[in-house]
Amino acid sequence: MIGNQKTLKIIHAGALQRVVENCVELLIKQNPGLKIKILGVGSREGAKRLLSGEHYDIIALADQALFAELLVPDLVENYFVFATDQLVIGYDRSSRGSKEITQDNWVDTLLDPQVNFARSDHDLDPCGYRTLMVWQLAEKFYGRTGLYEAMEAACIPYSIHPKSLDLAKALFTGKVDYAFLYSSEAEQLELPYITLPSKINLSNPAYANFYDQAVVTVESKIPGKSVILHGKPIEFAIGLSKDSQYPELAQSFVDLLTGSEGYSILEECGLIPC
Amino acid sequence: MDEEMISKFELAIPIDRTIQAELLLLLGQQPSHGYELIQRLNGADFKSGEADPATVYRNLRRMDKDGLIKSHWEVGESGPGRRLYELTPQGLEALKVWTNYLAEQKAKLENFLNTYLHFVKSQLEMDEGRDKP
Repeated sequence: MIGNQKTLKIIHAGALQRVVENCVELLIKQNPGLKIKILGVGSREGAKRLLSGEHYDIIALADQALFAELLVPDLVENYFVFATDQLVIGYDRSSRGSKEITQDNWVDTLLDPQVNFARSDHDLDPCGYRTLMVWQLAEKFYGRTGLYEAMEAACIPYSIHPKSLDLAKALFTGKVDYAFLYSSEAEQLELPYITLPSKINLSNPAYANFYDQAVVTVESKIPGKSVILHGKPIEFAIGLSKDSQYPELAQSFVDLLTGSEGYSILEECGLIPC
Repeated sequence: MDEEMISKFELAIPIDRTIQAELLLLLGQQPSHGYELIQRLNGADFKSGEADPATVYRNLRRMDKDGLIKSHWEVGESGPGRRLYELTPQGLEALKVWTNYLAEQKAKLENFLNTYLHFVKSQLEMDEGRDKP
């Protein structure tokens, strides 16, 4: 029995909400009395919260590169890649053009003035900067000069939907026709979605060199400064805070997520455990 | 067979059938994590199709469960920690069985191609015989 005073704090990518909730449920079963507080945010925002002094025992982010850029070695010692995913275009059955959109005509569908689409905030959420990378790669892949700028100009302002999970909610309420999401989010919410060619959807390490050509500038950890990010295959990672008060319990959570039970949960949630 | 039918025919050959042999061979050459394996597999001249990450990881887990490979988390020295896979003695045996199977398939395909060439030749000879006055 764990004393009531013990509260494990987890900060996680919004896209991992269901995964974390399911793992928390299992961990509490194994440790009756344990309290766990979870907070889902855009992963870049999450890492910056730690930098600003907020304390969490476990950090699960949608981009493994955030650990090296912002958290290692001061706040986190080691971190582990545990899942992959791909970027897709989610929509609702009532979205304009939803009966006609395909993997071949998605650019023209989204650029139709009657259609609206959204992405998340690239300064807060990896899904936001990954979407910009997908547009850059699509411009090269389809040989359509100006595609990136046209998509940026036509997209709903990114500040309205800070993280990708907000986009999914906007799809449900009909505020947005299409949104760039992780396929796992679309699967979990049972939203229909269009898959993109693997050469542009940031899913496959075989195309790492091609993805690397995509470049996005985001706010760095130093206020007023920016940092350049290159495209990479999507990888989710988890790490423990160096100053966790409950390192053994925190490690139990990581073991659970990266073990057979975690594998099943990740698969049920549409992610690819790795 | 038109192009569409040929495409459907090719799609009917499941990549899962040979990807395990390909992964076992790559892991026999050197232990690797999934990210690296996908890159090595796509760079190999024996790959049977584009290896998507879901297929690779699903097969790695299956073979890990079956004892053909084993894995452990490896802490990254300058990057992220990843699950590292390596071949087991059972995996090496499985690779030998796969190799024998593929050799048999190769022999059967060669027999098929030879028989087909004979068939084409006989058709040509028949056509030539018909054309003679």
